[in-house]
Amino acid sequence: MEFLLNNILSLIIWFPFIGILLILLIDKKRETLIKWVSLITIIIDCILSFYLLANFDFSKSGFQFVERKRWIEFINSYYFLGVDGISLLFIPLSTFTTLLCILISWDSIKELVKEFYLALLFTNIAMVGTFCALDLVIFYIFWEAILIPMYLIIGIWGGPRRIYSAIKFFLYTFFGSVFMLIGIIYLYIKFGTFDYTLLVTQKHPFLVEALLFLGFAIAFAIKVPMWPVHTWLPDAHTEAPTAGSVILAGILIKLGGYGFVRFALPMFPQASLFFSKLILVLSVIAIIYAGLVCLVEDDLKRLIAYSSVSHMGFVTLGIFSFNPIAIKGAILQMINHGIVTGALFMCVGIVYDRTHSRSISYYGGLATSMPLYAAFFMVFTLSSIGLPGTNGFIGEFLILLGTFLANKTMVVFGALGVIIGAAYMLWLYQRVFFQELNPNVAKMLPLKTNELIALILPTILVFWIGLYPNSLLNFMTASVKTLVMNLK
Amino acid sequence: MGITLNFSVILTEIIFVLISSLIFLIDKFIKNKNYAFYITLITLVLAFYIVLFVPFGEFTYAYKADFYSSVIKLFLVGGTLLISLISYSYLQYYVNLNSGEYYGFLLFSLVGAFLMLSGMDLVTIYLAMELMSFPVYFLIALNYTYYRASLEGALKYFIVGSLGSIFILIGLGVIYYFGGTFLLQEIFNKLAQNFYFKEFLIGFIFLLIGFSIKLSLVPFHMWAPDAYESAPVPITSFIAGIVKFAVMATLVKIILIGFNPLKIEIGEIFIPIILASILIGNVMAIKQDNIIRMLAYSSIAHAGYAGLGIISADYAGYSFTIFYMLIYLIMTIGIFGILALLANYKRELLHIPSMASLCEKAPFISFLILVFMFSLAGIPPTAGFIAKFYVFMSLIKTKYVWVALIAIIFAIIGAYPYLRVLKVIYMDKEPLEFYFKYDFAFLIPVVLTALLVLLIGVYPKPWTDIIYKTMYFYISSLFYYS
Repeated sequence: MEFLLNNILSLIIWFPFIGILLILLIDKKRETLIKWVSLITIIIDCILSFYLLANFDFSKSGFQFVERKRWIEFINSYYFLGVDGISLLFIPLSTFTTLLCILISWDSIKELVKEFYLALLFTNIAMVGTFCALDLVIFYIFWEAILIPMYLIIGIWGGPRRIYSAIKFFLYTFFGSVFMLIGIIYLYIKFGTFDYTLLVTQKHPFLVEALLFLGFAIAFAIKVPMWPVHTWLPDAHTEAPTAGSVILAGILIKLGGYGFVRFALPMFPQASLFFSKLILVLSVIAIIYAGLVCLVEDDLKRLIAYSSVSHMGFVTLGIFSFNPIAIKGAILQMINHGIVTGALFMCVGIVYDRTHSRSISYYGGLATSMPLYAAFFMVFTLSSIGLPGTNGFIGEFLILLGTFLANKTMVVFGALGVIIGAAYMLWLYQRVFFQELNPNVAKMLPLKTNELIALILPTILVFWIGLYPNSLLNFMTASVKTLVMNLK
Repeated sequence: MGITLNFSVILTEIIFVLISSLIFLIDKFIKNKNYAFYITLITLVLAFYIVLFVPFGEFTYAYKADFYSSVIKLFLVGGTLLISLISYSYLQYYVNLNSGEYYGFLLFSLVGAFLMLSGMDLVTIYLAMELMSFPVYFLIALNYTYYRASLEGALKYFIVGSLGSIFILIGLGVIYYFGGTFLLQEIFNKLAQNFYFKEFLIGFIFLLIGFSIKLSLVPFHMWAPDAYESAPVPITSFIAGIVKFAVMATLVKIILIGFNPLKIEIGEIFIPIILASILIGNVMAIKQDNIIRMLAYSSIAHAGYAGLGIISADYAGYSFTIFYMLIYLIMTIGIFGILALLANYKRELLHIPSMASLCEKAPFISFLILVFMFSLAGIPPTAGFIAKFYVFMSLIKTKYVWVALIAIIFAIIGAYPYLRVLKVIYMDKEPLEFYFKYDFAFLIPVVLTALLVLLIGVYPKPWTDIIYKTMYFYISSLFYYS
């Protein structure tokens, strides 16, 4: 137990590597075995990450489970891991999302099965690593390493325009992160360390700080994605296979928000304050613009992709209002959005596997042919709108409450976004599930076991967080409090 | 101080010359052509041993075996060993490349590289560079039986190379006119006493032109795609990896020992050349359909990235230049090893669009290509990223942030050609007929280099230490004992 707790972060990161090695040894014809191996690997990884949650002491604000080993002494870079209240919740979210991905693509991936599960496990390693890393070089390596499997997942198993989307996704995010790399190197040259905990305490002249902030912010803003640089997201989400969309929506775009809270805010507080107005305006534009796009969109996946842009607008709105309530709300909203949007993408994937159409006008009256499925979809729709009792409400409410204390004008526009959100989601639900039964979808196969499990798990979380949010908010209270205190 | 003739110092080169001459002599009389491979293999293993244990010292003023040259020689021998393994399987399929001449020239070229690395005066370096280049021209022209245009490539390389020699000679003339010496140490002493700064700089610029032709830096790059395409595939990796590595290491050495007081000015001269190389190499690579031409343009860009360390005019920067070239050597051997295998079984596969759905016929090979392509593009966790990271770091350290920014933006353009290869291999679906079997001469070099690429990407410490400490010891020995 002692060993387990001392090395738990490394274990969670590298445990899927065992699965990768096992899968590499298995003959590629034995697909079922490959699936089971990867499923069991991820389940164990998931259990480990929940064990991490259980052992976290949420009264402390500093980093816990710290591991620090020599990596490249020559440039003073360490293999330095640790979690605090801000990053902690993302780790179970990552492993949980990967678990859902494996469940949902059990039958829908038919070619190059071995490669697909290898890519998924590799993604898991890189995702968890990004959230744990406290050394900027390690962080950057994990951050960029995600691009490799995601590029392959979108490009190989995606839809008709997959190649265009994959390359666009890759180049867009690569473009953003190289500026961060320059920033990281500059910080190193200035202070001689890549250690996050030391860099946070440094002060810079304002101009330098502003430039550094912009360098980091470009990388994060593209990942989030914020309004003018969001165009990769609808393409990538739409063309990716279901599992790819779930990972993109669930984790990848959270990396941007996480980056803002973890790096941009504490490391460059003056610049964050200076640019906060700009970012608030961009967030509000994202909320409303993406909402309006959703109203006219006919492609199911594209609609949900744009709704992610809108929801992530709330997250950046919360982060840059510098209010502890709003920041807590933003982190919770990222978790919620990961669960709910991931689930919505899975829902779309389920019908897409049966009909091979993503067009809304193709469907209609689906509630009669797939009643159970309709019920699940309803839960996620309502949570996405933010109905009280579901997790979406808590996140949006906290963000709006916190932002109201800091900046009232923005809240008015933000709340407008909630209404638009309700409009497009409910209208979507009406067009797909009610109205007359469209003959295209008159006969549908019922839900399979793996799909059912993949839908039940997020449903439980939706209500759990919705009814007892304190179980998650407790984790971040202390860390967010210190964060905001250091800002002012 | 009299001239010392210590033959044990120069033993490696003597053995190489003797053995390659022996190969030329007996080649006519031996029917089984594989003998040359075994002789080369034994020679190289022996050379590895000798380089490790040869005493440091001078052979006349013109040659000096020291720490720096020995370490680089070890890498060169290792690289050539892997390349000759690739050549072995390549020559089983392309029998008309006369294998005696092939390996003989390979060894001769390596002798040139060794002499160049150890050369302590500019004339020796110039002659050694010619000795290194001439066998390569012949090696390209050897491919004549399989690819008619290879004569054109060889001739182009030869003419451009001769142009480079002329420039070097002019540079030597200028330097000798003002300095009265070719010895690097003497040049350093003259410069240290503030004599003839401008004149030496002009001389160095002429030298630089000659060197950039060998490094295929813009605007002296036009021979590269033709020569690369014309050469037998393993020789292409020799040109791109070994020759460039040796030339870059020599250039760094010349700057370190001879032109040290001028290093900041030299760095400034490098800026436009390097940025243009990175830009043109990356942009031109986008449209190439032949993968070897694509890699030729990418090699222009990679020479540019390595040169970023020279811009920084800093000892750490120089060691990162060497480190970059080392990583590039590893990647080149790996990727060309794979291409040699493809060329063995189906030469059309060197055309990028016809590689479609290779991942179904050859998943392992496709995976290796994936590793090398991401490494060439500089995506972590591969060695290519670490190498780029270090050169950018040295640039930012010396206040050339803007150069780093421009170079890094060009790097984004540069990612596309590699992604395109992967796109074709993994994402395009077309029927492909391709049968092959693995052999050890293919697996050893390619798997070894792929492992190294991943290993250095995850744990670069020992490798950077080797290069950096070599540089450090070398510099301290230079400035304390001379």
